[in-house]
Amino acid sequence: MLSFHQAQLPNGLDIIAEENPDSYSTALGLFVKTGSRDESAAINGVSHFLEHMMFKGSTKYTWEDMNRIFDEMGAKYNAFTSQEMTAYYANVLPEFTEKALEHLSHLLRPAIRPSDFDTEKNVILEEIAMYLDDPGHRLYEKLMEVHFGNHPLSMSILGAPESIIRLQRDQMAAYFRQRYGPGNMVLAATGRLAFDQIVALAEKYCGSWPHVDAPRQQPAPLYKPQRSDMFDTKLNRQYLMAMMPGPSAQDEQRFAARVLADVVGDSDGSRFYWALVDNAIAEDADFGFYPHDSCGSFYLALTAGPERIEQALKIAIAELEKIKQDVNDEEIERAKNKLASSLVLQGEVPLGRMRSMGGQWIYNKEYRSLEQDMATLQAVDRKSLQQLTRDFPFNPMTIVTLGPGSGAQG
Amino acid sequence: MAERYLQHTFANGLTIVGQRMAGMQSAAMTFLLPAGAASDPADRSGSATVLADLVLRGAGERDNRQLTDYLDSLGLQRSASVGVQHSRFGCAALAAKVIEGLGAYADIVRRPHLPQAGFDAARDLALQALAGVDDEPRQKLMIKLREWHFPSPYGRNTMGEREDLEKLTLELSRADFAHRYHAQDSIISLAGNIDFDEVKSEVERLFGDWKGPATVPLTLLPPPGRFHHIEQASEQTHIGIAYPSTLETDANYYAARMAIEVLSGGMSGRLFTEVREKRALCYSVSAGYSSLRGIGSILVYAGTSNDRAQATLDCVMVELHRLQQGITGEELQRAKIGLKASTIMQGESTSARAGAIAHDFYMRGRIRTLDEIKSAIDAVTVEHVNAYLKDHEPGPFTIVTVGPKELKLP
Repeated sequence: MLSFHQAQLPNGLDIIAEENPDSYSTALGLFVKTGSRDESAAINGVSHFLEHMMFKGSTKYTWEDMNRIFDEMGAKYNAFTSQEMTAYYANVLPEFTEKALEHLSHLLRPAIRPSDFDTEKNVILEEIAMYLDDPGHRLYEKLMEVHFGNHPLSMSILGAPESIIRLQRDQMAAYFRQRYGPGNMVLAATGRLAFDQIVALAEKYCGSWPHVDAPRQQPAPLYKPQRSDMFDTKLNRQYLMAMMPGPSAQDEQRFAARVLADVVGDSDGSRFYWALVDNAIAEDADFGFYPHDSCGSFYLALTAGPERIEQALKIAIAELEKIKQDVNDEEIERAKNKLASSLVLQGEVPLGRMRSMGGQWIYNKEYRSLEQDMATLQAVDRKSLQQLTRDFPFNPMTIVTLGPGSGAQG
Repeated sequence: MAERYLQHTFANGLTIVGQRMAGMQSAAMTFLLPAGAASDPADRSGSATVLADLVLRGAGERDNRQLTDYLDSLGLQRSASVGVQHSRFGCAALAAKVIEGLGAYADIVRRPHLPQAGFDAARDLALQALAGVDDEPRQKLMIKLREWHFPSPYGRNTMGEREDLEKLTLELSRADFAHRYHAQDSIISLAGNIDFDEVKSEVERLFGDWKGPATVPLTLLPPPGRFHHIEQASEQTHIGIAYPSTLETDANYYAARMAIEVLSGGMSGRLFTEVREKRALCYSVSAGYSSLRGIGSILVYAGTSNDRAQATLDCVMVELHRLQQGITGEELQRAKIGLKASTIMQGESTSARAGAIAHDFYMRGRIRTLDEIKSAIDAVTVEHVNAYLKDHEPGPFTIVTVGPKELKLP
């Protein structure tokens, strides 16, 4: 049986844990409420670059030690950076819980040595180049940039080569001091664990970290209908994404939004599936929900031959219009059943559960048990979806395309 | 305590394997059919891929939409894919729903409708997916690396070739279905919260009278050559290297496997350390063990900007050769704990275990328990690994590159 615990250290570090005595492992993660949206244009890409620098050594350890010590525990460890958070985690066998937490605490006190900083710049530039060979990623970056315009969510996570080359070591150190500290982060633990031990270890290894207040700018996004076509004759396929306003990560309607996304755009059995993929008009047709901090988005993504993409877009938009008029109980039930299964499956794996809990806390400072999530999900019905599509009627819409097609409207 | 593992082969040649997992609410199913790309008819590559889509478009009493709606109503998280050796159908959900869904899967593999409209769409989607490969050079590289490394037909692209897909007809697909979807050598695997008596009798009821022809053995031919460059104006140069290794069923397997872990296990692995951390030549570099029945291989990938590609290839080759000089006790220790932790954590996922025991049965004719795997890992010594490495000079190498410029080969 799962049980939840929470505590706060005197320096303000939040600790949350979900204990599962049936697990074979323990997952630990430090989540920081910072990402590319908290950057200025001058230091764009610093959040993600800093995430890399954490693995390049602390005052106590060299870069070789950082990786070696995790590997000596057999840890599954990594980190990720989004527009709104950066997280560092390790999944270990329970006997390594203390060692893993201690090492995570060193990881988050980086030395940022100038020589390591210069070397790692090249790795970041390679990562940027790698994503340029991925049409889906190019399209997504463009979509966020165009859709959010002057809003900070438009900032690229990786940054541009120019901003990375310009970035100075001391700018990164200053960003670290301003953003990384209790008050702006949470330690999340799941799996087989003893909560008292986790709190004692957190006090021992993170208790001396200075508190940080790191407010986040929350300007209101200004949405308008727009379209941007990227022409690339090297590509065979035409890729299209569109984004429109949706509920935020704090909005109660986010649960209904998840159900709606499944009804409209799940890879199997959804409205988009039957209208676009079953008949092979498009190879892929997804519709999803992307909640952000204080605002949110729905998106659609289509991949098709260049000659079919406009037809596919027309059909997708017609489906969005239709769902506003009629949505039936059976398809809602099916979507809920699929989402319920994914909740159960996620709950059985400590790493998945930890990522979900930590992320939730960063947005809402709230813990939700699987039972609560399940109950909220079960309560979604036709009325909630009707209300949702009235409040968020899929416009204004930002459309971006990439591929060899002319890109002309028509 | 009740048995935790189940293995039974029915008179018709179908095998059921199972693992009961305490504390789980879910179950997962993996269904392997002896219809992989390797056994696609000679001039009909991609046939298994089209078939794996087509069989889902209506089966038994349910038409296309009814079948998908039914599987969705059970909340099944589903997958369908084609590998070199098998067509694979998988699902996971609350255990009772997975068991309930078995009847529909029996319809899918035994009584699919194989309709004309469904065939046209499935083939169209296969052609679209194939056209997309050119847009993603990394994927293209890995397909070509397999083609140039493995003896034919093991090196075949599971997606098929354009000319073959264009020639495919519904009649040919129907004939292929009759030929390759059969009980002999099929494996159904279930893991999670299951009752062995229940699943065994249910599988017997649904598949006991399933017949069909026997599997036809393959004739192997050498691959086209060792070195291949594909010119493409990509952002990065993508490098693939392959060479033979020990069979998964060989007494030396764990010695060989440990060596690969030392090369590319955790982030302290030699490739990551030398190529990325020390020299910052690339973002992505890795090596892994690939197992087919009767063929063990090491596959290596690196993606790097074009002006660093030669240095990257040279540096990777140095590391592959340096392995022969042996590994240290500390390196082995890290490799062992890493592999052991992965093995134990696999026990937290019903999907991972359903897949693993199906693979085990296919490779060995029996399931290995997690304890057996842990003991095998524990038993490896530095002396054993180093003796193995000394006797096995790496190579011969197959090297494939995708990028704007050909590299100088070693």
